[in-house]
Amino acid sequence: MAERCAVIGVGQTKHAAKRGDVSMPGLVREAAARALEDAGLTWRGIDAVVIGKAPDMFEGVMMPELFLADALGAVGKPIMRVHTAGSVGGSTALVAAYLVQAGVHERVLTVAFEKQSESNAMWALTISVPFQPPVVAGAGGYFAPHIRAYIRRSEAPAHVGMLVAVKDRLNALRNPYAHLRLPDISLEQVAASPMLWDPIRYLEACPSSDGACAMVLTNGDGAKRSPGAPAWVWGTAMRSEPVIAYGRDQVNPRAGRECAADLYGQAGITNPRREIDVAALYVPFSWYAPMWLENLGFAEEGRGWKLVEDGVTAIDGDLPVNPSGGVLSSNPIGASGMLRFAEAALQVQGRAGEHQVDGARVALGHAYGGGSQFFAMWIVGSEKP
Amino acid sequence: MTEAINAETLSATHILEYPYTRSVGPVIGRFLAGLRDRRIEGVRTAGGRVLVPPVEYDPRTGEPLSEFVEVGQAGVVSTWAWVAAPRRNHPLDRPFAWALIRLDGADTALLHTVDAGDESKMATGMRVRVRWRESTAGEIHDIACFEPEAS
Repeated sequence: MAERCAVIGVGQTKHAAKRGDVSMPGLVREAAARALEDAGLTWRGIDAVVIGKAPDMFEGVMMPELFLADALGAVGKPIMRVHTAGSVGGSTALVAAYLVQAGVHERVLTVAFEKQSESNAMWALTISVPFQPPVVAGAGGYFAPHIRAYIRRSEAPAHVGMLVAVKDRLNALRNPYAHLRLPDISLEQVAASPMLWDPIRYLEACPSSDGACAMVLTNGDGAKRSPGAPAWVWGTAMRSEPVIAYGRDQVNPRAGRECAADLYGQAGITNPRREIDVAALYVPFSWYAPMWLENLGFAEEGRGWKLVEDGVTAIDGDLPVNPSGGVLSSNPIGASGMLRFAEAALQVQGRAGEHQVDGARVALGHAYGGGSQFFAMWIVGSEKP
Repeated sequence: MTEAINAETLSATHILEYPYTRSVGPVIGRFLAGLRDRRIEGVRTAGGRVLVPPVEYDPRTGEPLSEFVEVGQAGVVSTWAWVAAPRRNHPLDRPFAWALIRLDGADTALLHTVDAGDESKMATGMRVRVRWRESTAGEIHDIACFEPEAS
């Protein structure tokens, strides 16, 4: 790696079921302008723009980079689009980081968004192409069997998913940008909510949100000139695997395990449970919290649910997970991965406001997409690596 | 030598359709609302140029734009292409021109149609005037077409 990379600006929109007050350009602009302001920069200070969103069919926008270039101040600059399904917010940030690390650009603006109110993600994920197995009904229909397999293998008690659903919604009350605000959430309420895709209940599933997230990444020199304390990138990794393959473990995917191992190697982390202070994990359905805790090496296989049950992942536990409320509280799909990466940065900068984890110095940002087949992760730290 | 695969090649039709919605935002929204009231508005950039139709962000500088300017309902054809045999989905059911039209007071051109009757009536630099649709709804088709201005 030729150059260090640091986050010097973070911005996000208020996430909501429908942001009818803004166009798609207005939505990405809101996040990008906040990231620039945070970095103390103007549009002129940006060398390149990297944009990501989830599959084209969601909004019917095939070339967001073309459509949104002027809203993102990209005229006369390079702009490119990244696309890795639900993990795209993470991989978009990583492509921006690579441009900095490779010494190609000094300051890169990276943005990701989804305007689900103008799209049809549920049905875009429910197509039945002739001669191919259908993906059933939306993401929940796809992932429910994997969750059932996890519960069977791990013998996790049935309330673990509900514990995650309650914890993340209570955390969201501390996050002014979060979409869902459910102050009265309780285990009883979650248990009483309709079963959508057994074992996923309505209140164990993420909402559909409009929203965007943006960050400004820069090199060591840029970080020195930035007004605030940067979040330093300690490691980055992406992995992928086929959606359907003989012998593939969709509950604990190999791509995720290898991605994490690569990441920890770069960041010098040998015991993630002890050395990582806070984790922003991509948990669109409650049970994915224990599943990813195992996949990422925070717990042994089959034991992730114990961390949830013992309160370890609570905001005041010794491994807080999703103190911002996570994907379960805001899900502008394309932006959801970047929001995890941005949350990791805010935590190590000590700027996460009411959902700040005391003394967070090392944080993990994680995203997954497709049929648990794309993984993107980074570790950021308050200290220069 | 490869052995030919003796199998029937199957095919099937797959129709995928569902509706999308769009929020137009404050700038395009105001332009479309103006059309509903038979008024054409653009935005002025910091550099003083008037863009019609308006855009939310200055295409040169990226700055947000919010100073609305009403422009004329007539203007000059800057370039055009004749459609001798309109198809079903074309906006006019008789021969017409696609044209870029710079309205009086605007610095950019609007893409629309000119109902000139015959190709020989079209010329770059000619003046044209808007013809409104009978009932307006807040969309670009509120402008039925442009027509050559009576000289």
